[in-house]
Amino acid sequence: MGVNSPTALEHVLITTKVEKVINWARASSVWPMTFGLACCAIEMMAAGASRFDFDRFGAGIFRATPRQSDLMIVAGTVTYKMAPVIKKLYDQMPEPKWVIAMGSCATAGGPFDSYHTIQGVDKVIPVDVFIPGCPPRPESLIYGFLKLQDKIMTSSIADRYKEIFEEVG
Amino acid sequence: MTDPIDPQAPEAPEAPAGPYVYDYMAAPNRQVVLPKTVPLPSLRTYQAEVAAAAAADEAKWQKQLADFEVAKAKAEAEGKDAPKPPVRAVPRKDDNDLKTPWPTEAQDADLLKLQELLGGQVEEVFEQAGERVCQVKKEAILEALKVCRDEPSLKYEMLADQSATHYPAAKDFAFSIVYHLTSVSRSRRLRLRILVPEGFVPESACPLYPSANWMEREIYDMLGIRFANHPDMTRILCPEDWEGYPLRKEYPTVGLGQRDIDFRDDRGGVLNRLAMEKAGQMGINLKQPKAD
Ligand code: SF4
Repeated sequence: MGVNSPTALEHVLITTKVEKVINWARASSVWPMTFGLACCAIEMMAAGASRFDFDRFGAGIFRATPRQSDLMIVAGTVTYKMAPVIKKLYDQMPEPKWVIAMGSCATAGGPFDSYHTIQGVDKVIPVDVFIPGCPPRPESLIYGFLKLQDKIMTSSIADRYKEIFEEVG
Repeated sequence: MTDPIDPQAPEAPEAPAGPYVYDYMAAPNRQVVLPKTVPLPSLRTYQAEVAAAAAADEAKWQKQLADFEVAKAKAEAEGKDAPKPPVRAVPRKDDNDLKTPWPTEAQDADLLKLQELLGGQVEEVFEQAGERVCQVKKEAILEALKVCRDEPSLKYEMLADQSATHYPAAKDFAFSIVYHLTSVSRSRRLRLRILVPEGFVPESACPLYPSANWMEREIYDMLGIRFANHPDMTRILCPEDWEGYPLRKEYPTVGLGQRDIDFRDDRGGVLNRLAMEKAGQMGINLKQPKAD
């Protein structure tokens, strides 16, 4: 039998990997958390509103609690006083979880090279996608989100936990 | 085995270990430049400045005259032509120029009333750019606020804002605390001001104006001025364990109080929890604080 010719069974069934299905499900229903820190949050709200419509990508349901959300969009300036709160919220999110650092403040401190601002939220929590800009336009956020979807689609379920198990030993 | 590298060769800088850490000590905005002047608006200082400028001008003119006399006598003795007499420079006037709102004498009835009621407690009253300013003795601020609030002809019901400024170059005080009062019923504003030295504890305005609560906490947080009889004199904006007072002029933009937060190793607290569990199985209590 040729490799490419489907069997009789494959005419009626689609076969795939469980991992792929799970990744597809995860990537197309990423629920972000309602979480804005500064001016960038306005752009995030614009992305969620009807003109840009974040809902097209399955990410329009901004959850009001970290326990129901998969994605934390850190939109704004992270101050030293806010850092423990962000960490706590991140810890409360169930796995699998992803973080987008939106704007130059969240990626590198932005214009606030100062005593009160953390120079990048990656000092506090692991970040998957960085979006530059002050503020990034909703298109940028959507592009960053599509990148995150790519990442989720190509990720393996085992990868996500490999690091942890390796570190623990 | 000896090192084959020539000891004369310049050593390559050591690669920093771990993640990039901002070098706060070398940062340009860590350097502090203390101001040398006291830019505090005040009628008395302004008058003194004007008088000093006039005196300097007059002295210059007298010197020019004296120089001219000397030059004339010298020219006469040598039999030359007399030099030209000096002309006094008149400051150029430009009517189109923007007028600086200099402080002027108090004309307003509110200020005069306040001066009459408080008497010796008032240090200075003036108006500037249509704003009324009354500077009182630092011990008498509560009394002044009480008069402003309760006197029927003043009736400033609202403390709209309260803030402070650091003047490191000033000799007999360190901070000015400003109370912005608003009279809603009379549509008027008034500014009360006290000058306090370092370490002085002014009376809190909370018993009279409850809105002073958070504003005084902010002043304490930013400048380190404590207020007496305040219900809750704690930091409001900075974290509780902050060091220093950020709005003081000697506080660097970067550096003091800044710390390296790094808890990203522990993904979601898993490591911590597992370490606790493992340590528990081995009979070690990690939760106990260490002696150092
Ligand atoms: S990056 Fe710019 S727009 Fe975004 S929070 Fe910072 S300052 Fe505001």
